[in-house]
Amino acid sequence: MAETARSWAARGAWAGIAQAGQLGATGPAGVTATLLDGFGLATLIAAPGGAAALSQAIVARLGIALPAMPKIASSASHDVIWSGPDQWLLRATTREGFGSLLEALSAQAAVSDQSDARAALRLSGPRVRDVLAKGVMLDLHPAAFAVGDTGLTSIAHIGVHLWRLADGPDGSVFEIMVARSMVGSFWSWFAASAAEFGCRVSTGRG
Amino acid sequence: MRITCPHCGARDAQEFSYLGAADLQRPEGMAASEAAMATYVYQRDNPAGVHRELWYHAAGCHAWLVVTRDTRSHEITAVEVAKVRKAGATA
Ligand SMILES: [Zn+2]
Repeated sequence: MAETARSWAARGAWAGIAQAGQLGATGPAGVTATLLDGFGLATLIAAPGGAAALSQAIVARLGIALPAMPKIASSASHDVIWSGPDQWLLRATTREGFGSLLEALSAQAAVSDQSDARAALRLSGPRVRDVLAKGVMLDLHPAAFAVGDTGLTSIAHIGVHLWRLADGPDGSVFEIMVARSMVGSFWSWFAASAAEFGCRVSTGRG
Repeated sequence: MRITCPHCGARDAQEFSYLGAADLQRPEGMAASEAAMATYVYQRDNPAGVHRELWYHAAGCHAWLVVTRDTRSHEITAVEVAKVRKAGATA
């Protein structure tokens, strides 16, 4: 019986795809990748004319306003990420209480829980933009893509949603989200692209 | 060719799907003659010059756009969000 129970255990989006370790060239890592797991994620779509009321509800509960432009707004525990006109992603660093938050917001928006539907990756390191330049058509230079900017685009024909977080010790920090069904193909692109610079892979939450 | 999406900014044309002429007027349902309906469904201008056309930002924000493009040079002079135009249009 215990065997049966174990076979239904939840698997993270990166399970069987990527794991912590060193990838490609040895020596100091040009890129650092953190495989993110355990976050809560939902799409929010406001009804026509309803974006202001939805934003007020988010401000009241989380203290952050919905960006009207392709931007990300963050509190210590939550992010709201523009994902199209009158559409946002809501991410929580943990899934605790996430269901009831979505329940409460469903009065103001079409809400769909996507917590297990996307895979997310945080990227940094001195060569991070060199890796991304192999697949991203957007100009990610700091002069063109500011901290807090987000974009929906594609990498190797795979739809991606990426954004830039506050700089870290090695400069720019990006997060990339892909549909879970595409994560194997995405990792294949990423691993091949990052190999020449050396990549340190770790796991993390959020 | 790059299209400047009003939501996302300038993006390569490969992020978009083309639909066709933007300003077709559908004849009034059951009242329309067969000839008028056939014209609406099949007849298209093929201008050498300025053309207003629908593009879908498939790999981006998923918005429908009305793009004004010169078919000779690919110069784009206007990009509007189709939803906004539709909402403001007289029926
Ligand atoms: Zn767009």
